[in-house]
Amino acid sequence: MEKFLQNAGAKALELAQKKGVEAEAFLLHGRNLSLEVINGEVETLVEAEEAGLGFRVINQGRLGFVYTSDLSPQAIGKVVEDAISISRYTEADSHNCLPRGNYEYPQLEVYDPEISAASLEAKIELAREMERIALASDSRVNIIERAGYDDSEFTSVIMNTNGLYACGKGNYCGIYISLVAQEQGDAQNGFSMMVRKNYKDLDPNFTGREAASNAVRGLNARSIGSAHMPCVMEPYVVTRFLSLLAQMVDAEMVQKGKSLLAGKLEQLVASPAVNLVDDATWAGAVGTFPFDAEGVPARKNIIITNGNLNSYLYDSYTASKAGVESTGNAQRNSFRSLPSVGTSNFILQAGSTSLPSLYDGIEKGLYITEVMGMHTANPISGDFSVGAAGIMIENGQLTHLVRGATIAGNLGDFLRDIDAVGNDLRFFAGKAAPSIRLKSLSIAGE
Amino acid sequence: MVMEGVRLDKSILEKVLEEALKKGGDFAEIYIEEKQLSNVICEDNRIEKVNSGREKGAGIRVIKEGKTAYAYTSDLSEEGLLKTAAVARHAVMNNTAISSKPLAVKEPVFRLNVKRLPEDVTFDEKIEHVLSANKSTREVSDEIRQVTVVAGDLHKKVIIANSDGDLTEDERTRVRIIVNTVASREGLIQTGYESAGGVCGWELLEQIDFESMAQKAARLAVNMLSARPAPAGRMPIVMSSEAGGTMVHEACGHGLEADLVQKGLSVYQGKLGEKVAADGVSVIDDATVEGKYGTFCFDDEGNYGQRTVLINNGVLEGYMYDRLTAAKDKTKSTGNGRRESYQDKPIPRMSNTFIAPGDEDPEDIIKSTSSGLLVKKMGGGQVNTTNGDFVFEVQEAYIIEDGEIQYPVRGATLTGNGPKVLNDIDRIGKDLGFSIGVCGKDGQGVPVSDAQPTIRIKELTVGGTAPTSGSNKYRIRRM
Repeated sequence: MEKFLQNAGAKALELAQKKGVEAEAFLLHGRNLSLEVINGEVETLVEAEEAGLGFRVINQGRLGFVYTSDLSPQAIGKVVEDAISISRYTEADSHNCLPRGNYEYPQLEVYDPEISAASLEAKIELAREMERIALASDSRVNIIERAGYDDSEFTSVIMNTNGLYACGKGNYCGIYISLVAQEQGDAQNGFSMMVRKNYKDLDPNFTGREAASNAVRGLNARSIGSAHMPCVMEPYVVTRFLSLLAQMVDAEMVQKGKSLLAGKLEQLVASPAVNLVDDATWAGAVGTFPFDAEGVPARKNIIITNGNLNSYLYDSYTASKAGVESTGNAQRNSFRSLPSVGTSNFILQAGSTSLPSLYDGIEKGLYITEVMGMHTANPISGDFSVGAAGIMIENGQLTHLVRGATIAGNLGDFLRDIDAVGNDLRFFAGKAAPSIRLKSLSIAGE
Repeated sequence: MVMEGVRLDKSILEKVLEEALKKGGDFAEIYIEEKQLSNVICEDNRIEKVNSGREKGAGIRVIKEGKTAYAYTSDLSEEGLLKTAAVARHAVMNNTAISSKPLAVKEPVFRLNVKRLPEDVTFDEKIEHVLSANKSTREVSDEIRQVTVVAGDLHKKVIIANSDGDLTEDERTRVRIIVNTVASREGLIQTGYESAGGVCGWELLEQIDFESMAQKAARLAVNMLSARPAPAGRMPIVMSSEAGGTMVHEACGHGLEADLVQKGLSVYQGKLGEKVAADGVSVIDDATVEGKYGTFCFDDEGNYGQRTVLINNGVLEGYMYDRLTAAKDKTKSTGNGRRESYQDKPIPRMSNTFIAPGDEDPEDIIKSTSSGLLVKKMGGGQVNTTNGDFVFEVQEAYIIEDGEIQYPVRGATLTGNGPKVLNDIDRIGKDLGFSIGVCGKDGQGVPVSDAQPTIRIKELTVGGTAPTSGSNKYRIRRM
């Protein structure tokens, strides 16, 4: 597969060089399997394979980009021609540049042969087991919406006219379950998922139980009065906020005046309890890979230390604009898009407080276990107002379930109001966080 | 039939379907797609990116006793398709081949009326419009810090053939323009957004005033700089028809998709024939409305797009079905089987979904509201169909006091419960306003539009950040 992709890329670069332009060929081949089980039977099974080329041209500072899923020589010739002709329409920008090449890439374990070796039947059984365990763990769980398994394998080849050549093969697997628990006319959803680099680390027992417990804890919850109060948030909920924060430390957003954190390097932007990194070398994590989407080597980037903003995340373009080196944070979803700044493993580092100690000292507060509508939060203004559910905290104890509330605020205040960070770090795909406590949040209910 | 460079004879399609059913099955289908798209992006006062892409692929589906096996590939050669058909059928555990019916072309009931295809419009022309919209947006105020204008188009050709003998050929064109603005004043940042689009070609540029649309996005961002924080709590809500239909989409749209109903995941299950909304409230899903963003002649299973009355004068009349869910309920597909691309299996999806207009004057509705919130623009939302709870974002709102619009507020979210909201609609205007968007479900996005008249809802919870009175403050007790 590497040879096949390499040939296609080399052909494209050769044509580009003949026309006197700088170019980059991003080639991707992927294979994936997904299956869903309901009541022990496979309801859907998808197997697929795709390959493609994303071709970027820098023609005297002008950018052109064309993608194709057809890697035949004729199609490649057309892609190069189209990309050069499109580049005439964009404005020249001296910061359009390609990484230099001749890098040393870290040795990272990112491929587990057991994933493709495991039989289809074994994978189906993982989903079935999750379903059985979820149903058995609580009698109120009575509907499984979906129980599924996915795996994905990809080979990525990046080459450019500066002589850069990067090739890597990776894979990952995951299980997830979504279900409903019912009691006395009330119904609640529960969901849990687990994504791992190693097949043997998948744990259907844990996932099945967690989804069941998530659903059950929302049953017959009450609504709450509107107030400002301290909150504790579960790791998954914190990772939803991390997604917003990731956009604020994206150098492109900063440079375009679209981030609250613009112009704040070396300033205190969060409470001293906050430490944030982006680390593409973290062993065994899903976002780990030897190079980024431009072929720049993976590394660990320290973003916030004790509340102080150390660095933004850069790709080659934004780095050139800022006069710094790329931090290896160029990302693309597939060969169909240009690289842009993104995160690999975005981690709010754990502290040393246990979860019960986080809510121990709270007279009246909310332990937030779920948020809804986070995609509507505004990464530019930092404003958020989202649906929330959880458990009341009264005199240091978790008391009754709450739902139908909204929590609102601004991410700038959120960061400064984190006054304690738990020791229970947990990964959810490319984001990781522990539980946290916030001094105060606006909660609306009745 | 021809797609660029790929000839697909009926006989090849029949052969692939036979291959797919070699191990048995109730139904097989091949969906072939070829698409070309382009985007022009202006940001930071210049054309920053121009990109284009071309892609083709096929998805082959085998259904047996309600279970689906699906395989997809970007190799459209006869060999590639046969190989993919073999992959799709290997999940079917029988050994008896089933035969596929000979294919007969299904003619559309209407055709899209596209006047200017994307490939007939030069980049120069698209860029000229984008740059002029950018310029007039920035001129609105010197508090505008950033403007992004995107003009995108898609031209897609689809061939769908199935073992029931249906052969459908369809062509879809879609264009969309989006303007995002950022304004700031003394460290406060607010944003504005406007979009327009349809299942049509670039004649859209002649039908809408691109520049005033862009300026509206700028004025919204600037106005919100003076807005006060929204209050938190329950209150009457007047939703302007200008706000678009996010509410109908989240409050009942998803809950009326047959797959969710059949899996026991919708509050609307088992309620056909019952009253689920207030008198006068009718909800319709219609894929045949001319030019709207969710319009189509055929859905992605080759069934005719149609107009389906979901709720009629408060009574639940029907759900949205695709082929598989219709077979389970022993009824006919309502032509709502849609997929994002050849990489996805179709599932019930909305098309253009709206609350039908009533007969009241929208101005009267505001005047007769003593206090509450006027919502003029909604953003995105999310729903939990199992219990009907939904959340959606408000981008432009004003406090109503004594029937008069008072001052703008920002940072509000509305939360509510679908069935309850539909029952709490007590005024329905005679106007109707559409908004376009991309609806996400099961990891697939499809283009849709939603609409509503100006309506009043007796009460919803507003999640704002305005400080509440002192007695409600709780402190952390230090140990």
